[in-house]
Amino acid sequence: MTKPGEFSYRRVHRASAELLFDCMTQPQHLTSFWGPDGTTAPIEGITVDLRPGGAFETVMLNVADGSSYTMRAVYLEVRRPDRLVWTEPGVEGGMTTTITFTDLGDGSTEVVTHQTNVPPSYRDPAARSGFETSLRRFGEYVAGLGSG
Amino acid sequence: MTNAAADEGAPDDLTVTFAALADPTRRAILSRLSAGEATVNQLAEPFTLTQQAISKHIKVLERAGLVSRSRAAQARPCRLEPARFDAAVDWISRHQRMWRERYDRLDEHLAALRAGQSGGSPEEAGA
Repeated sequence: MTKPGEFSYRRVHRASAELLFDCMTQPQHLTSFWGPDGTTAPIEGITVDLRPGGAFETVMLNVADGSSYTMRAVYLEVRRPDRLVWTEPGVEGGMTTTITFTDLGDGSTEVVTHQTNVPPSYRDPAARSGFETSLRRFGEYVAGLGSG
Repeated sequence: MTNAAADEGAPDDLTVTFAALADPTRRAILSRLSAGEATVNQLAEPFTLTQQAISKHIKVLERAGLVSRSRAAQARPCRLEPARFDAAVDWISRHQRMWRERYDRLDEHLAALRAGQSGGSPEEAGA
């Protein structure tokens, strides 16, 4: 299914799917890596209610200016160790993040992060269908611009 | 997340941009314009659409800020406006960068866990 404002990000990590799932869902792990560069995510600011409908919230503190940003999400799917889905209703009309964990059988795990943003005005299937091509065109366009 | 405020202010423009790009005819028009200016007549040539239909698509692209039309010449040639493309590309790359950095830090965290396990620091290994 394709949607506007959609992208996937793929990584392979040297760890089991179980450990990676736990890293993504346990405050004592999240605090070590969650906050964007230049921020921290203190463990006392992390809420994980690991069930569909449960809250996933993180407070991120900007190291330079002390400002904070709170991510407020709700879990939609919790399937250890394969799949984790949450949605942030307050971001860009609703941002949904799906993370899949695939054991590659050699001690490493493929982690694919898929984010979609579905503005309410743009939900009909006809409009959605062209989006993946649009992104490909973006890529071609950007490549064509060179450094610009 | 330093870009949070910008994220929340961005959806309207981006929604219009992404919607404009969701149509294959409009993408074909943009591809043609990436090769240089063209008049509505020239843009209509490769299509079996009427000039009116092409004009409608161009209006959508204009409203999305992806295309502008010269007022200098009577034929009013269309040209591509890269700024809005850049905004959409920025949106995607900003989110990708956030995740790339996050997973870089996760790798460091995993390395620390491995070191903790072999170095005999069980609480570091987590649950």
